[in-house]
Amino acid sequence: MASTAQLFITCLAEQFFPGVLKGMVGLLERLGVQVAFPQDQTCCGQPFFNSGSWTQARELARKWLRAFGETDGAIVSPSGSCVDMVRHHYPHLFPPGTPEHALAEATAARTFEVTQFLVNELKVTDVGARFPHKVTYHASCHLLRGLGAREEPKALLRKVQGLELVPLPNEETCCGFGGVFSVIYPEVSQAMMAAKIRAIEASGAEAVVACDAGCLMNLAGGLRKLRSPVRAMHLIEVLAADRGAP
Amino acid sequence: MSRAMAPIDFRANAQRVPATMPAAVQKATTRFLGTRAALVDLLGQELWQTLRQAGHDLRLHAITHLDHYLEQAEREVVKAGGQVHWARDAAEANRIVLDIAREHGVRLAVKSKSMVTEEIGLNHALEGAGIRVLETDLGEYIVQLLGVGPAHIVVPAFHLSKEEIADLFRTKLGVEALAEAQQLTQIARLRLREEFLAADMGISGGNFLVAETGTVVLVTNEGNGRMCTTVPPLHVAVVGIDKVVPDWESLTVLLKLLARSATGQKLSCYTSFITGPARTKGDTGPGEYHLVLLDNGRSRILETPETRETLLCIRCGACLNICPVYNTVGGYAYGWPISGPTGAIFGTQILGTKVAGGLPFASTLCGACNDICPVKIPITEILLRLRRRVVEGDEQEGPMGPTMARTGAKMGALALGTPWLYRLGSRLLKVAQAPFRRDGWLAKLPPPLNRWTMVRPFPAFAADFRTWWRARSREGPRSH
Amino acid sequence: MSPAREEILGKVRTALHRSPDSPVPAVPPAARVRPRAAGPAGAETEVLLAEIERLAGKTRRLASRDDLGAALAELIAAEEVRKATVWATPDLLAWEVPATLRARGVELVSPQADKRLVAQCDLGITGVDLALPETGTLVLRSSPERPRVVSLLPRVHLAILRPAALRADLHQVFSEVKADGSFVLITGPSRTSDIELTLTIGVHGPKSLHVWVVEA
Repeated sequence: MASTAQLFITCLAEQFFPGVLKGMVGLLERLGVQVAFPQDQTCCGQPFFNSGSWTQARELARKWLRAFGETDGAIVSPSGSCVDMVRHHYPHLFPPGTPEHALAEATAARTFEVTQFLVNELKVTDVGARFPHKVTYHASCHLLRGLGAREEPKALLRKVQGLELVPLPNEETCCGFGGVFSVIYPEVSQAMMAAKIRAIEASGAEAVVACDAGCLMNLAGGLRKLRSPVRAMHLIEVLAADRGAP
Repeated sequence: MSRAMAPIDFRANAQRVPATMPAAVQKATTRFLGTRAALVDLLGQELWQTLRQAGHDLRLHAITHLDHYLEQAEREVVKAGGQVHWARDAAEANRIVLDIAREHGVRLAVKSKSMVTEEIGLNHALEGAGIRVLETDLGEYIVQLLGVGPAHIVVPAFHLSKEEIADLFRTKLGVEALAEAQQLTQIARLRLREEFLAADMGISGGNFLVAETGTVVLVTNEGNGRMCTTVPPLHVAVVGIDKVVPDWESLTVLLKLLARSATGQKLSCYTSFITGPARTKGDTGPGEYHLVLLDNGRSRILETPETRETLLCIRCGACLNICPVYNTVGGYAYGWPISGPTGAIFGTQILGTKVAGGLPFASTLCGACNDICPVKIPITEILLRLRRRVVEGDEQEGPMGPTMARTGAKMGALALGTPWLYRLGSRLLKVAQAPFRRDGWLAKLPPPLNRWTMVRPFPAFAADFRTWWRARSREGPRSH
Repeated sequence: MSPAREEILGKVRTALHRSPDSPVPAVPPAARVRPRAAGPAGAETEVLLAEIERLAGKTRRLASRDDLGAALAELIAAEEVRKATVWATPDLLAWEVPATLRARGVELVSPQADKRLVAQCDLGITGVDLALPETGTLVLRSSPERPRVVSLLPRVHLAILRPAALRADLHQVFSEVKADGSFVLITGPSRTSDIELTLTIGVHGPKSLHVWVVEA
């Protein structure tokens, strides 16, 4: 089946996790998907929307829709929160009955977070990956509750050769990133991050896996500060790591 | 609470939270979440979700036809021999209760736990006029002795140790007190019994107001609610206009949701139903009954369809229990008696963005509250709307944030939204960071991102996907 | 008409784009939930008592009113009852509960007496108008024969019911009692977890709850 996927790379992944993006391209192509990259994309506008600047969010949404609206196939992204933005908030930014609203709805309907795309659209859980390590999974909030993706990431992890998936205490509790929250209320963000890291350490895992750049920036930074040997990885990196050591 | 309140500084409040608070909060919330989950499992997810949807729909129906149901409730209460008063704001409500108290020469009033009376500062108003007002819910009695507000809407004093409470009783009540829960409860029981019997007036709130018969419903565990509304000769109930429920069938749904969500009980120990004063003398209830219907900004919340579901709240506290932010800071950080997610959305609208504009941002938008709310209030949707109200303003209020923030947003959107600027910026940042970059991390950043780096390092800027993509497009994709 | 009333109703109507003659549709059908169906007749009493025991109430099943005398004697001794107050409902009078108490040396205080006297009672005895097995709930109505203070002020509350009082669901209960001026649902003895989340039974309401079923 030759399907097409338009890459929605997201501003955070582009700036800070280019390896995840490259890994995603390789993974999708291995699964027979033809990958395209609309070059005009920048940011979906979520940071502006979440911080109350809806005028700017709307502007960026328009630009995003211009970049993706005329493309074919599924739009695939490694970020649950960005996909949640497009799927659930884009339509509300434009008055119902307008062409923009219609375009937003149509485009939203074919925008997928990558684990949901793999499992629900491509019907694949075993991508032939091998990662013989103890791994624990943190359920990013927008992916979990915004998109309802509770099982897909874990279904993929369970099929990775050699991977031992250990439970994360309070797996579904927020890590404390929250976008602007991390800079508006840093002390509270810190306490939440610390609680999540304590849980990660209690799990005994060598790596914590998540599907959102925000969570990963937060956790990786926190683990780094503690000089912890635990590595924070995007699930794509695990799926793309088919040759041993992290 | 009047408009004269100082702005709530959530960050400063959070910084002042005692080190013992998070563990104490989490002990309480974990307990309630556990007992709640057990009962939801017993009922079954399907029935639970059906109840939630029903609860949402009937409450929405009630508030979107509120004028009709308020008039019906008033008619029924009057028919039953009660008196109904309407209060536009806190000051008016306090005046009404004070007038009733003065008319009857009230010197001592006993009060059952009521968030709405905390909202309007009723105790303060009565005490200012020389009337002694006693909180009778054990947790409220304790925090009242301490001179502070409640830290949780269901268990107001959860954060205090039994040693602290014993000390408090020794100092304020002048009694021998052992640091043991049963003993301390017994002390409060004996003390408050005297007060119940001596009180001239009982004050309550109302968990619900059933329009069909004008009945106020009180959901309690200790018996103080019954005491306050049975023993004194006069009962005054203060109820927000948002508490209306159309009929008894609807009430059934809400009663099935409330105690399970709040404390993990199928029903609380006492659910009392009061329609007017005691109808005959032999009935041993209060001979006189007043219902005060309070607006205090609720009608304004109704004006905005996208936020009016704020009024569906049945004050169960489940959203507090599940909120990771509440679990970190406890109730006092929110700066007014109703805390947690519901307190944030309700407070921002009741108090206005000038006072409470920081509250909608005191959330990571994780959404756990939406899933646990028994009446399916779209809390994070409302938080987002209120953030927009703070920053851009809307039909209700002008923008609150500093102009700099709006200019910053405009500039940020320009940089992020213009592809060549975005790509240029990305390249420039990679260059500019060079002196500060260590091992793929930036230990310090200038404001406002210094608030990030004070907690943990920031990842280095590393964008090279577009170059990589262009290169492979020239070479053709490698086979795998 | 009070100006506050007009202003509040006016604001509400404006906010909702309604006028005084705007229609009010029925409560939406999705907001109606099917009530719990009754379990098998014999089992419901067991369910009720088991639930009450789970809530730290104490229960007994009595085959007939003939067993009341002995049961009351035991309770009086166990709870050291010297003063009691009783509902004046037909069942309790027919069962001669006041007389039985008197015969055991218990002083009877009228519920309509001064509340301080009633508050000194060790025991308050009521009937039970309706009961809900699923939640272990007793429904007590109020009237001159059913004064509220009897189940509230004394130290111990004894509630005596017949199986006929059982109902399957709150729906049935409310349809029967909603027109009352006052009634209460009692689910277990009074309690609090306000101090360090430690459960304490017996706060402001009675410290203990006894529920007896008289089968015949």
